[in-house]
Amino acid sequence: MGGRSRAAAQFLSGQGFEEIYNLKGGIAAWQGLQAFGPAEMGMITLRGNETPQEVIVLAYSMEQGLADFYSRVPAMTHDSEVKKIIGKLVQIEEKHKDKLFALYQTLEPGTTERILFEEKIVSGVMEGGFTGEEFLEKNKSLLDTVQNLLSLAMMLEAQALDLYTRYAQKAEDIQIRSLFHDIAEDEKGHLAALGALMDARA
Amino acid sequence: MQFLTPVASMDAEEARAYIKEHKEGTYTLLDVRQPSEYEKGRIPGSKLIPLPELAGRLKELDPRTPVIAY
Repeated sequence: MGGRSRAAAQFLSGQGFEEIYNLKGGIAAWQGLQAFGPAEMGMITLRGNETPQEVIVLAYSMEQGLADFYSRVPAMTHDSEVKKIIGKLVQIEEKHKDKLFALYQTLEPGTTERILFEEKIVSGVMEGGFTGEEFLEKNKSLLDTVQNLLSLAMMLEAQALDLYTRYAQKAEDIQIRSLFHDIAEDEKGHLAALGALMDARA
Repeated sequence: MQFLTPVASMDAEEARAYIKEHKEGTYTLLDVRQPSEYEKGRIPGSKLIPLPELAGRLKELDPRTPVIAY
């Protein structure tokens, strides 16, 4: 499936690469086999001049989507090692949410209730985007094997890595920059863990 | 889940035409799958950088050279 290459193309584009193409359908299409890729995910337009608060909300909604996706995975596989690793990923994404909320509070001291923050601010960003449930529903056909499941997770992690590294580069506030770098480092670790698991299963 | 940036894509036919029209060395075919997948089959001339390693190996790629990723 082409999800990983699309994430790679996005990443390279964010790193200043001038001309990048994603090969539709990946190697399967190249070989003339039936090609299919992940369903389109919700698209938002980044203006590039978001306030730190807006970026945090965006990141929070992405973490929410990731955690939501991962929390649904255990019901879909019998592979105990996959379950174990996905369980760990859920926990770390939840920690990212805690960190992001804490940072938001330092910028907006009036925000005390997490539930209100989620309902009033984050849900607005999630609308039009994707929930884990919708995303899984649309990509059901791709999740028939452990390899495909891991591949999808890698695509999501690469997108998260992309978002954090881009905004870390842009952030003028040192506290925000270092938090984004830290989280990006975690997402990079997730990618490596998922890649290793995929290799072990091959 | 948000998709952040629209990315240009090519289908297999377009990619074949591109490769035919452009000299070797003027573009990079980038395989971002895992080594095990690369070993099973790849587009000839591809450079393998698995997605998990991409962020750490950017120096191996020239940002001015067009990249076709799969």
